[in-house]
Amino acid sequence: MKGRFMEKFIEIAGRIGAQRHLVAIRDGFVAIMPLIIIGSFAILLNNFPPLGSFSFVEWMNGILGEGNWQAVGGSIWNGTFAVLGLLVAFSIAYSLAKSYEVDGLSAGLISAASYIMLVPVTEDWGLNFAWLGSQGLFVAIVLALVLTELFRVLVNSRWTIKMPEGVPEGVARSFKALIPATIILILVGCFQALMSVFAEISIFEVIFQVIQEPLQGLGNTLPAAILIAFLNHLLWFFGLHGTNIIGSVMEPLYLPLIQKNLELFSSGVSAYDVPYTVTKPFLDSFVFMGGSGTTIALIAAIFIVIRREKNHPYREVGKLSAPASLFNINEPVIFGLPIVLNPAMLIPFILVPVTLTITSYFALATGLVPKTVAIIPWTTPPILSGYLVTGGSWRGIVLQLFNFAIATIMYIPFVMVGVRALKQQIGRE
Amino acid sequence: MKIILVCSAGMSTSMLVKKMRDSAEARNLDVEISAVAESQLKNNLENLDVVLIGPQVRYLEKKIKQQLEPQGIKVDIINQLAYGMMKGDKVLDQAIELKG
Repeated sequence: MKGRFMEKFIEIAGRIGAQRHLVAIRDGFVAIMPLIIIGSFAILLNNFPPLGSFSFVEWMNGILGEGNWQAVGGSIWNGTFAVLGLLVAFSIAYSLAKSYEVDGLSAGLISAASYIMLVPVTEDWGLNFAWLGSQGLFVAIVLALVLTELFRVLVNSRWTIKMPEGVPEGVARSFKALIPATIILILVGCFQALMSVFAEISIFEVIFQVIQEPLQGLGNTLPAAILIAFLNHLLWFFGLHGTNIIGSVMEPLYLPLIQKNLELFSSGVSAYDVPYTVTKPFLDSFVFMGGSGTTIALIAAIFIVIRREKNHPYREVGKLSAPASLFNINEPVIFGLPIVLNPAMLIPFILVPVTLTITSYFALATGLVPKTVAIIPWTTPPILSGYLVTGGSWRGIVLQLFNFAIATIMYIPFVMVGVRALKQQIGRE
Repeated sequence: MKIILVCSAGMSTSMLVKKMRDSAEARNLDVEISAVAESQLKNNLENLDVVLIGPQVRYLEKKIKQQLEPQGIKVDIINQLAYGMMKGDKVLDQAIELKG
C-alpha cells in the first residue's frame, strides 16, 4: 500500500485540490455560504413546528398581522437562495480573477452582468426567478470561468486604456477594464441573439436539461452518497482534506437539491414529502457527526475500551479532541491518534461512515425520519443539527443517536486492535 | 517574528495558534501568530517570516512555496503528530528553526 502508489495518489488528489478553477468554484461557494445559511434559516423560522402549544409563527403573526411575519423570511429568501445562480456568477468569477491577480471586482461584475443578459425575461418584463436560482447554477459556473479567462487574457493584452500617472488608482482600474468588458458583453449579447434566433430556447434550459438535471438525479441515489462518503474518507485516510477536495464538485451538484426541498417545505409541503434524500446537510448531520469518520463515536469507543489507564495515549487524544469534536472539528483525532495511514483504523474509518450513509438513507427514504429541509453551519453540534435539518423533528435526533450507537459499537473492536498494536510496538522498542 | 498557519478554513489551526501563543508567552518571545484560510494568505504577507501549512492541505505546499520563497518567507508543513496533539511548543520550535 505504501510507496509509489500512495505517493501517486496523494499527488493526484493534491493536484485536484489545488486546481485553480476548482478552487475558484469552491471559494465562490464558500463566499456565499453565509447568505445561503441565512436564507435557509428564514425558511426554517417561517415553518417552524409549534413547540407544545406555543407556535412561534402564529405568535409573531399575532403581533404583526397575518402573513406579515412570513413576508420577512420570504424576502430574505428572495435575496439569497432564490438568486443563488447570480450570486455565484459573481463570486466564482471574483475568486478566479483574484487567483490570476487581475481585477476581481471587474471580473465579478462582468460575469454577473452577462448572467443577467442571458436570463430569460418574463412576459411582463421581469427577470425569471426560476433561472436566477439554483436551476441556473451550472450556467453561472461555466459563464464565470469562461468569461474570466477571457477577461484575464484581454486585460493583460494591449487592448486596454492606460491612464497617465497621477490618475487615482480606482479610476485607472475602471478604465482598464472598459475595453475588455465591452468586448465580453458584446460577445455574450451576440451569443444570446443567436440562441434565440436559431434555437428558440435559452441556454439555461439547454444546460439544465442536458447536464444539470441528469446529474442531480444521479446525485440523489444511494450509490452516489456512498461514493461520496467513501472518497471523502479515503482522502482523509491519506491525510488530505477530503471534504475540501471534493467540495467543488459536491456543492454545485447538491445545493440545487436542498434548494428544491427548502422551496417546497416553505410552500407548506411536509418535510417527509420533499423529494430529495441525499443532500449535503444529510451527510453533515447524520454521517459526519463529530467530523469526517464519525469520530465522535471513535472518541466514545476509546473511553469505553480504555477505562483504567488514565494516561493511555489514545485517551489523551480523546480528551484533547472531545470539545472540538462536539463542533465537528476533528483534525486532532485524525492526526493525533493518528488515523492517517494507520492500518488499524483504515477499515472502520471508511466502513463506519459508509454504513451510516446506508442506515440514514433508508431511514429518510422510507419516511421514518423527515428529509433535510435546512442548511446549517457544518459546525453545528450533533443533536441540535439533527433537530434543525429535519425542520424541527425529534426523529432527526433519534436517527443521530441510533447512528452514534452503531458507529461506537463498530469502532470498539478496532480500538482494541489499535491498543494491542500500540502495546506491541512499545514492547519492541 | 511573524508566523502564519494555513489550513482550509482556519478553524482547527486556530486551536493550535492559541497553544503556540501560550508557549511563546511562557518563553518571553516576541512573536505574532495567526491562522488564515489559504485564500486569505495573500493579504497577510507584510513582514511575514514563516508560513506553516496544516498537514491536511499539504498539497498546497508547492504552490505556496513558489509564491513566497522568492520573497524570503520560509514555508513548511506542520509536523503531523505535533499538529494532532496540538503541541504548540513543538510547532513553535519548528517555526523558529525554519527561520534559522
